[in-house]
Amino acid sequence: MAESKNEPKGGEPRPDLAAVLQAKAKTLDENRPEAMAKRKKTGHWTARQNISSLLDRGSFQEYGQLAKPAFNLRDGPADGLIMGIGSVSGQSIAVAAYDYTVHAGTQATISHAKCDRLFHVVENLKLPLVFWTEGGGWRPHENNIAARDFEETFAMMAKLSGQVPTLGVVAGRCFAGNANVAGLCDTLIATKKAALGMAGPPLVESALGIKLTPEELGPPEVHEASGAIDILVEDEAEAIEVAKLYLSYFRGDSPPGDEPNVMALRDVVPENPRRAYDVRKVINGIADAGSVLELRPQFGKAAVIALIKVQGKSMGVIANQPMVLAGAMDSPACDKIARFIQLCDAHDIPMLYLCDTPGLMVGPEVEATALVRHSSRILTAAVNATAPFMTVVLRKAYGLGYYMMGSLPIHPALLVAWPTAEFGAMGLEGAVKITHKKELEEITDHKERLQRERVLADEIRARNTALEVAARYEFDDVIDPADTRDVVTKFLNALPPVPKRTTRKRTIDNW
Amino acid sequence: MTEVKCQVAGIVAALEVQPGAQVAAEQVIMFVESMKMEIPVEATCAGTLVDILVDEGDSVVEDQVVANIRDS
Repeated sequence: MAESKNEPKGGEPRPDLAAVLQAKAKTLDENRPEAMAKRKKTGHWTARQNISSLLDRGSFQEYGQLAKPAFNLRDGPADGLIMGIGSVSGQSIAVAAYDYTVHAGTQATISHAKCDRLFHVVENLKLPLVFWTEGGGWRPHENNIAARDFEETFAMMAKLSGQVPTLGVVAGRCFAGNANVAGLCDTLIATKKAALGMAGPPLVESALGIKLTPEELGPPEVHEASGAIDILVEDEAEAIEVAKLYLSYFRGDSPPGDEPNVMALRDVVPENPRRAYDVRKVINGIADAGSVLELRPQFGKAAVIALIKVQGKSMGVIANQPMVLAGAMDSPACDKIARFIQLCDAHDIPMLYLCDTPGLMVGPEVEATALVRHSSRILTAAVNATAPFMTVVLRKAYGLGYYMMGSLPIHPALLVAWPTAEFGAMGLEGAVKITHKKELEEITDHKERLQRERVLADEIRARNTALEVAARYEFDDVIDPADTRDVVTKFLNALPPVPKRTTRKRTIDNW
Repeated sequence: MTEVKCQVAGIVAALEVQPGAQVAAEQVIMFVESMKMEIPVEATCAGTLVDILVDEGDSVVEDQVVANIRDS
């Protein structure tokens, strides 16, 4: 490793030690100027640079530094996979990074054996794993080596699901087997230089006759929208910052962070019920300043999911986003929420639901996406989760949408509403169309009929305000929005200690 | 110059400020109607609103640039 330098502590090392030190030195970036020059040209960091930037100084114990390619095609330090154990802010983790300067970061016989070894260590020691997955998949030069059929890298990676937090970083071209490792991670960070896909350009060309560059085939913006990546960052340096932040949510309590502007919460929800607002403002008014890490912001945009800290304690936030589809839940939003619940539950992170939804999205287009199935995923995840959660109804709480967003039947530890909350079993305009069908049909003037519908809906709305529903005790309290952070803190303080787990609690869906 | 983009597709319902006005960060510049809701389009920074590129009643698409602000 760069920081240890392998300098002898006494005088000149004996020949046996000198040979080891020399062999190790050969694998380091500073002794591979040609490879480094190439890397610099494309503007990418090296595998070792990524690892040393993430880990606490001097904490890295490398595994397999002296390994070489099984098929001695060319020189191949560590067989193109830098890996080992170390710490981040004192938290023990495991790291691995495919080295693009060694045969394009390809996976080969020895590097698979190394990977399998590390994954077993990760499983036994229950270490969070950060994996830089850049690379071109299987190294075809080793096709004749029988050992490749025994590699269990992908199976082991899948087996880690829910056992330890897994974080992937894609900072370059990542295809085939390397992309498979990325796809098996709980959470995926990608830089603007990422190109990601299951099959690379040569396979695409031979199967479909289309000639594409890797960057055309799987650009990061496409994957941000597709939901394949969770966080798009500018470059490697930002990826390291985000990785550190991400790991912090799985480390237990931090020192309490700075208080946000809680008074601003009184004015976030507009008085005009037809006006939308950005629910991120609500999250920012609850979380410790600077502690919000939103995942998949460009996918399933009718929902917002984020990891946050409140008084230093980790939480997962699941919120409807009234800015998009009025907060109505479509299939991508449901998928996004369902997987996030599993992520939080697997690692015993308490959850906060922020409900403002007119219900599930309606119409033939969304039904054609199998909303019937996708929406159900939320309930299966939520009802079977044992990590505690609480719910704040910000405004609309309608239909099955509300039922799924942390309502009473799924047993939140605490269920509160803001004064702006309004409740209904279904959209009120739709409801009066059914309950007052005859009366409305008799009104021939279109405008007049709409007006009557609105009056009827308003009558129901008035019977289902936060205060009215509180009187029927359908939730625990109506709170001052400015007190939300305090209420969340009281909920967190009431939670029992997380049981020490020696076995997996649950797996986390990859989608 | 900073571009102000509309987050959702819809119809411009109301312009809240005129070109030339000083705006604060997060000040509402216009509302776009979508899904029976009025979605605010907010100033991305404080400054002078140089121009508004749409009129009330216009259709807009997601990520369309609808105004420009000169940072103060």
